[in-house]
Amino acid sequence: MPQIDPTKPRFWRSVEDFTSGADRPKAAHGYPELVGREFPVGATEIDGATRRDFLKLVGLTAAGTMAAGCMRNPPERVLPYVRQPADIRPGIPLHYATSMSLGGYGIGLLVTSREGRPIKIEGNPDHPASFGASGTFEQALAYGVYDPQRGKSVKRKGEQSGWKSFVSDVQTRIAAAKADNGKKVVFLDGPTASPFDGWLRKQVGKTLPEATFVTYTGVDRDAVFDGTELAFGQRLETRFDFDKARVVVALDDDFLESGPDRLVNARDFARHRVPEPEGAEGAASLGGHDVGGKREPAGEWMNRLYVAECGYSVTGGQADHRLRVRGSEIVCLAAALYARIVPEGAADVAALGAPFKDSKWVAAVAKDLASRGPTAVVTVGTRQPAEVHALAAAINATLKSEVVEYGLPLLLDTKSGSSTLKDIVAAANAGQIDTLVITAWNPVYAAPADIPFADALKKIPNVVYYGQFEDETSVHAHWYIPAAHELESWGDSTSMDGTVAIQQPLIAPLFDGVQRGELFGAFAGLPDRTAHELLREAHAQNSADITANGGFDSWWERVLQKGVLSPTPPDTIHPTLQAGKIGERLRPFKFERIEGIEVNYVVDNKVHDGRYADNAWLQELPEPLTKVVWGNVAMISPAMAEKNNLAAEEIVKITVDGRAMEVPLFVLPGHADDAISIAIGYGRAGGEAIARGVGSNVNTLRTTAALWFGARATLAKTGKSDRLGITQEHWAMEGRPIALTAELADIKRKHLPMIEEQNGPQPSMMDEWPNTTPEGYRWAMAIDMAKCTGCNACILACESENNILIVGKDQVRRGREMHWLRVDRYFEEVDGSLADAKVVLQPMACVQCEKAPCEYVCPVNATVHSDEGLNDMVYNRCVGTRYCANNCPYKVRRFNYLNWHNNLQGTYEMKMNPDVTVRARGVIEKCTYCVQRIEQARIATRIENHGVGRVIRDGEIVTACQQSCASGAITFGSLHDPKSAVSKLHADERAYAVLWELNTRPRTRHLAKVRNPNPELA
Amino acid sequence: MSAATAHSEVPEHLREPPLIEGPQSDRTLTDSILHPVWRDPGRGWWMALAVTSSFLGILTLCIAYLLLTGVGVWGNNSPVYWAFDIINFVWWVGIGHAGTLISAILLLFQQGWRTSINRFAEAMTLFAVICAAIFPGLHTGRPWFAAYWLVPIPNTMQMWPNFKSPLVWDVFAIGTYFTVSLLFWYVGLIPDLATLRDASVSRTRRFVYGVFALGWRGSARHWNNWKWAYMLLAGISTPLVLSVHTIVSFDFATSILPGWHTTIFPPYFVAGAVFSGFAMVLSLLIPARQFMGLKHVVTMRHIENMCKVILATGWMVTFGYACEMFADWYSGSVFEIGQLLTRFLGPYRYFFWMLLFCNCVVPQIFWFRSMRRNLAVVWIVAALVNVGMWLERFVIVVISLHQDFIPASWGMYYPTMIDIGMLLGTMGLFGTAFLLFLKFVPAVALAEVKELRYETELHEQQHAHEAVTGAH
Repeated sequence: MPQIDPTKPRFWRSVEDFTSGADRPKAAHGYPELVGREFPVGATEIDGATRRDFLKLVGLTAAGTMAAGCMRNPPERVLPYVRQPADIRPGIPLHYATSMSLGGYGIGLLVTSREGRPIKIEGNPDHPASFGASGTFEQALAYGVYDPQRGKSVKRKGEQSGWKSFVSDVQTRIAAAKADNGKKVVFLDGPTASPFDGWLRKQVGKTLPEATFVTYTGVDRDAVFDGTELAFGQRLETRFDFDKARVVVALDDDFLESGPDRLVNARDFARHRVPEPEGAEGAASLGGHDVGGKREPAGEWMNRLYVAECGYSVTGGQADHRLRVRGSEIVCLAAALYARIVPEGAADVAALGAPFKDSKWVAAVAKDLASRGPTAVVTVGTRQPAEVHALAAAINATLKSEVVEYGLPLLLDTKSGSSTLKDIVAAANAGQIDTLVITAWNPVYAAPADIPFADALKKIPNVVYYGQFEDETSVHAHWYIPAAHELESWGDSTSMDGTVAIQQPLIAPLFDGVQRGELFGAFAGLPDRTAHELLREAHAQNSADITANGGFDSWWERVLQKGVLSPTPPDTIHPTLQAGKIGERLRPFKFERIEGIEVNYVVDNKVHDGRYADNAWLQELPEPLTKVVWGNVAMISPAMAEKNNLAAEEIVKITVDGRAMEVPLFVLPGHADDAISIAIGYGRAGGEAIARGVGSNVNTLRTTAALWFGARATLAKTGKSDRLGITQEHWAMEGRPIALTAELADIKRKHLPMIEEQNGPQPSMMDEWPNTTPEGYRWAMAIDMAKCTGCNACILACESENNILIVGKDQVRRGREMHWLRVDRYFEEVDGSLADAKVVLQPMACVQCEKAPCEYVCPVNATVHSDEGLNDMVYNRCVGTRYCANNCPYKVRRFNYLNWHNNLQGTYEMKMNPDVTVRARGVIEKCTYCVQRIEQARIATRIENHGVGRVIRDGEIVTACQQSCASGAITFGSLHDPKSAVSKLHADERAYAVLWELNTRPRTRHLAKVRNPNPELA
Repeated sequence: MSAATAHSEVPEHLREPPLIEGPQSDRTLTDSILHPVWRDPGRGWWMALAVTSSFLGILTLCIAYLLLTGVGVWGNNSPVYWAFDIINFVWWVGIGHAGTLISAILLLFQQGWRTSINRFAEAMTLFAVICAAIFPGLHTGRPWFAAYWLVPIPNTMQMWPNFKSPLVWDVFAIGTYFTVSLLFWYVGLIPDLATLRDASVSRTRRFVYGVFALGWRGSARHWNNWKWAYMLLAGISTPLVLSVHTIVSFDFATSILPGWHTTIFPPYFVAGAVFSGFAMVLSLLIPARQFMGLKHVVTMRHIENMCKVILATGWMVTFGYACEMFADWYSGSVFEIGQLLTRFLGPYRYFFWMLLFCNCVVPQIFWFRSMRRNLAVVWIVAALVNVGMWLERFVIVVISLHQDFIPASWGMYYPTMIDIGMLLGTMGLFGTAFLLFLKFVPAVALAEVKELRYETELHEQQHAHEAVTGAH
């Protein structure tokens, strides 16, 4: 296990530890500025710090709350709860609505806070971008906020300094810059659609009218906007409503897993991944679904997905038909589709110079698209150039697709690609920048190899870097400002559909981070204002809504409670395809066929572009398809491995234009031939202890010309190898009836012999388990494999809820990962070959067998059956013989081989959910169906009913995994109620018990994955 | 036809060699058998002790590290939750079996040839069970609780062990086995301890041996009581020969895992235990009789008999393997057949092939009398059988676990240095205990050998008398 934190945990430092000296800066509130401390004194400052005003608001008033989360007493005077604040009751969780940004777009969150500590993230049900679901990045915030590696003090040229010193420096510089209206002040921000950011920029503009704001991110959406510009002559936001889609063609587009609207996409897409509508919505739409003005026959509920891509993405795993194409050749495919669908298409694409990839596949897909008309759509990934986006936009316009919607850009800046960096380098070299304020994430690391961004920074007299970590960029900055975490800051966000949500802090900045609002406030000449005040001021203009709600304060309170401002209908616009001009506009594009091996770069599912690399939760998540943890790999196809005599785990040297890097190989079925895919975001060399040295940095290979693909690479053996951390070593199902699939046609004609074999009466010599509870609950779960995309959100939600500890790469190599929930991924050979292997995903946690093999073998009765059918694990009775785990046919039990606690440093302990025991060394643990949530619901019914209790209603208990799942693959409830959702799913014709023949009677039933192949491609 | 006539009619080379060689009297037997106790142990003994106690030291260090750090210092993982810990446990318990079998069952069957080797075998049993008992305790995640939560001690929480769990049966089985083995060994030792006491030249020795001799005076009444006690203990031990390894096999057989869930396990575990036990007796006895001058009491006839037992139990074990494979195939279950295939063809296939070679092929050499009488061959075969039996447990434990029902959870197991250290360490413990045993108590049951001599002589006298009188 790599050391998480080599420093000793230090919560508090004594007053003597404060830097002494004449130039010790004084903070605004008169306290000495606490330089270098790890833990905020704010916890004990009952009054004073205006910056922490929000404490009053969220109830984080006194030391008691913070003291609950740490062991040692602060040296300052601590006051107990003389009068307990009204909204804090020890032991009762509080939920706060807030939001985060992903790629600049907002996602609403609902954070569970225990005694002042945020411990669990959910989606905000009132927010349209998360509707109660959440993804891995969202969940991981709850871990990231406690990361002790985060920047702890303002630094000037690497020396400890203070916020006050920075502010006075800014004031001097502003005064000087005012001479030329701040022409030489440049702000390099990440993409943002936040109204607050827009307001702040205006405030900065008041002092420095000519200061420029530019945007950069390693994962930009420029091509989407450029594409609409080509097609419609207008830069437009592109959104999809997959609820309306019946045929989807995704060209290198991982719309289910990447992008700010991934949760919504997953939900809408999954609704139509099943043969028939389900539950209430099913009742409403059975017999017809109103799409595009025409009634859909019930049988046409299920969608069909075609994917063309190079590597295997999460979306690719869902495809009914998947085509392996190298990244650079997607354009040929798009052109071929365009030529077949758009009337004047053939002539237009002739200009591209790209050879059509017209094939049986294209013909069948085009026919399917055309036949579905408004319910068909072609989507394109952000990796692809604008031309492909334009082709797709034209196809969609020709199809009159109602799946795609356009709107005016929400981002403050629709250009955020590497051209921004190029401009800055040019300006810096020309001496046109005096002050560069970098709030974008780590551009030195993220910049492609051909942009000498770090060198350019040396030519700028004053570089300010604002980031959560001291990383590759901070070492080049004159000022480093530690950024407050998302859960520590005030702010707001706009989601892709235009919903504005407020971001409110859950905890005082743990390491004295500075909030964005405060940073920009300093440049706007408002250094004394807190981010909270600025945010309120920014929103004070929502006048109509405010007056309707009886003044600002009451309106503001309502907004904070709900997390979202009253939704404004999205400004959908209907642009006209500039049909005649597309061919002409495509002309500058030059297609070049890559001879030999093409190298493709993909955005990582775990660390994104590297910004989450210091998050051990994310690092230890298995990559959805390769199941690799802690690092990136070069993925190649089995055929390519054979041809080049390469094997998995071998370290190869990849050279592009003379630049080389070394990375271990992974042979991925279904990967395009003559191509390598590597995830970006690894090989970090900043100050983050967890991120440092994990994986290899591919940014050293990338150039602006071939940012995502298009570079010819050579591959050489190094003779070295690296044993990867892989959570699933075996890819094949070995012909066993484990993860079943069915074709839509077979379901319709009720021909499901495989599923029937895994069902049926199971006679037993033993008595049935008596249920002695008055209500008769029989807890059960249904997991629909047709809906599961393998996005890992459930794994992280479970980890977060149940205090599951990380173990590190070395222990994963030894097969000791602790995830209670795993998503098994099987490749299915097609025509005896792995080349075009299909994927089946099967989430697997404890299935709570009614006749549990684990129970009878435990010598100390540490795992026993509850009346309600739970297979309970009694941690403090467990002696760790591991016999239960051996006898568990599902292998879902996890053993604490070592004291994983030793990896937990300081602040991470604050993350723990107090409702769940933190397991000691030598103890078995496993999924409990979130028993703590069941008990919470039971207690709530008793309180509600004055101690008597009523029957818990279906849907009242939501397990952590179920809650996070955007596609709704997981359903929990009680079988005693035949009308409950889970009872219905258990009775579904696709439902079966995994390992039925063992007669374990699992309470979790799986529903077979459904495939909807096009008969023409069969 | 009496034995006597048979004796005279049997050709010389097929005649059973005597159990005690050469003209012997009580005096010569006492002198020769007690000689190793009295004499200066010599450099060989000290060097051997240095080696074994070094390994014992390694064991101690490994255990300390294990207790301080956790079971994670081993290579165990998910899905291979049990590995060397349980392999070693079952292996050592199996080795212990020969002692009980030789002592008890052969005693009840009045097999005279057992007397020269039973003490030796019993001691081996005792030490092997001690080695075995290290593992079930230490292999748990929290041995400080396992030490008493697995035992039915009345407590205020009214928490009892789960009597459905074979691991609880194990506690009883091993506990009983150890207790009875210890008693049996000790009771058998009492007359010899008295002999030692009487022959002691120093006061200290006389005192120590005197205490352990429990006031034995050799009166007829003592002998009578002793004989009864010894027979009773033999009677109690006899079912244990069958029960202990049967119960150990239940750890596997009662589970639902392919490769474990097999009804053939109890008999085939017992046969395997006897198989490995005899192999271990031979491995130790051959050098011991050489260096301790016991060739006249531990004769080639003893060695040949043990070889025959190995041959017979080897076939039982082979039959067990065949049954298991047949059942796997005949079940038609993809999981059982998958397990069968992974044994033959999976990543650990060489272990399985080695097992078949060591346990099924190698013992066949004992069909040849010349090979049974070739000590080098016998020793090598015995050693290979011990390796084979260790591999058998590896196959059962690790191979069955590493690929079970759900392919997604399959994984590999690799032992760590601590795993190997603990295996070697228990060998060190065993060796150390054995060397001390050889030094401090007679390795051959003196009283019983003397009794055997009397009986043999009496028999021969009767035979001579009958020959003279012509009585038939």
